[in-house]
Amino acid sequence: MHSYDPGVSPTLGFWTIEIPKGSVEVDLDRGEAVLHIENVCRVFDAFTVPNSLNPLHPLGLVSAFLKSLRIEWKGITKRTSFNNGTTFVGNFIENSARIAVTVRTPDTKPPFTPAAQDGFHFVADPASTVSNFAQIGHESNGALFS
Amino acid sequence: MPAGADDDEDDGHKETCGLALPLPHTTAGPFGPLHFYFPGPIDGSAAATDGTGTHAEGRDPSTITNFEGFVGQVDLTFSGTGMDTKTGATAPYQFHTDTRFMKGTFIASDERRHDGAFAFI
Repeated sequence: MHSYDPGVSPTLGFWTIEIPKGSVEVDLDRGEAVLHIENVCRVFDAFTVPNSLNPLHPLGLVSAFLKSLRIEWKGITKRTSFNNGTTFVGNFIENSARIAVTVRTPDTKPPFTPAAQDGFHFVADPASTVSNFAQIGHESNGALFS
Repeated sequence: MPAGADDDEDDGHKETCGLALPLPHTTAGPFGPLHFYFPGPIDGSAAATDGTGTHAEGRDPSTITNFEGFVGQVDLTFSGTGMDTKTGATAPYQFHTDTRFMKGTFIASDERRHDGAFAFI
């Protein structure tokens, strides 16, 4: 089992890391967007989601290497606007997406994992993507709600 | 989530170090609250990808607060080839992911505006 995430930040930000601004391109008129990041070291292989969320990480926690991640959003299935009046307003397009990712976990051994494990390298097949849900849009929240 | 230093609200105070702050909303996790909504329509209506139900306040897909900008969100399943890097043995492998981006302006923990981009991985 393998499960990749960047952990929780000191401010309790959940699985969220800063990336270069040029990693994201958005064209809402066409219903398209691209997220493309490369060579991300600040990600861990926690092996399972419960192990990631457990502060004790009983299955271990190993720095992994996200060599490349590219997600492409395309199409316009539905447009939704929402304003809760106080903290969140957004205009979004629901569509579909496709992913390409290459990631690597190094060999590990105690004490980093309970037992020695061989390294793992994964290359996704973008054509296999099943888009359960996808959306892109523009929003404001919190102190920038307007 | 360190704030970008190249594009801050710059009045000469480069010493400030802000961190993006999490969405106030929390979802119950097995070891404590987690600051996010599961994927689904922003109007908070029922979604197969959100087992916690509907949300009258809306379902903000951003994982950071005090934010204005573009957001992308996916819930995907996909497969590919996994390889044991010691033996070279390969096998089909399947993943499920909830991945997002946020790109825009945010007010960080230093109470200043910053421009930046984030990924929820």
